[in-house]
Amino acid sequence: MNGTYDTGQSGDADGGGDLDPRQAAAIIEQTAIRARRQFDPSSPIAAVLGAGVFLFGYGAVWWSMRDQRVYTGPAGWSVAVLYGLIAIAAIASRPVVRRATAGIGGRARRQMQMQAAAVAAAGIAAWTVQGALRYLGVSFEVVYGVYGPTVPLIALAAASTGFAAARGRWPELGLAIVVMLIAAGSTFFGPKGAWGLTGLGCAIALLLYAAVLRTRLRRPVRS
Amino acid sequence: MTSDALNPLIHVPARLRILVTLAALDDGDTLSFTRLQEMLDLTAGNLITHLRKLEDAGYVRAAKTGNGASSLTAVTLTRPGRAALDTYTAALRDLLAGL
Repeated sequence: MNGTYDTGQSGDADGGGDLDPRQAAAIIEQTAIRARRQFDPSSPIAAVLGAGVFLFGYGAVWWSMRDQRVYTGPAGWSVAVLYGLIAIAAIASRPVVRRATAGIGGRARRQMQMQAAAVAAAGIAAWTVQGALRYLGVSFEVVYGVYGPTVPLIALAAASTGFAAARGRWPELGLAIVVMLIAAGSTFFGPKGAWGLTGLGCAIALLLYAAVLRTRLRRPVRS
Repeated sequence: MTSDALNPLIHVPARLRILVTLAALDDGDTLSFTRLQEMLDLTAGNLITHLRKLEDAGYVRAAKTGNGASSLTAVTLTRPGRAALDTYTAALRDLLAGL
């Protein structure tokens, strides 16, 4: 720094004259960490909930099919567990997102709306193709056993990668890429592999992502 | 280097917290007055006073939409405001390095 500022007012009048540089540094550090934590809709808790959906939801479907030599589909209870967990995770995550985005306007809100539209379109397209495959006579084993747990997930993750990359959100980008790779790789192992490996792999990926988020929230501020 | 090198307009706890909080948002994003007040735990009058000083310096911009009870004031950090905070932070780091 070369020189001083002249703002036409004394720092003392506002209580700034007594502010020690170390105190100022502490204020910056604490305020930035708190703000980042409060503005970030991608909370570690939501990521852990997502990991639970994959581990126990996909795991329940895999469990119900584990002894099948010929594919007959998952048990009804396991599908209920999966959708129940998805609903619980969605409901539990909603307040976190609403709290994080409350009062924020401008570009961020428009970006979130665009992202939601893109992800919804990707999901609808993937599920439409699933219906088309069944309509065209592709087996239940492929349509519901292999395609069902993987391709819609790949579509949703692919839609998220563009936004994550555009905003420089590397943890989200990394997570989306890993999810796509796990889901794509698991299709080689049939219905049991698709449900089991995707569930286990994505649960681990989300737990690692949650750990990264937690570390970032506690990381000292750099400018 | 002494603490005189620190921008005195920013070198005030409340204003420093306002700028750092707004800087946590991306460029072009706005934050409602109510949310900012809640996050910083300041009285409305106190926050208005500090925002006015920052606005006069061109560091923040406040825009009011709507009328009466439904009116909403949104605050945003301007580019000069972000640059001033960066300069302040850099000066503070230099100062602390010399202690």
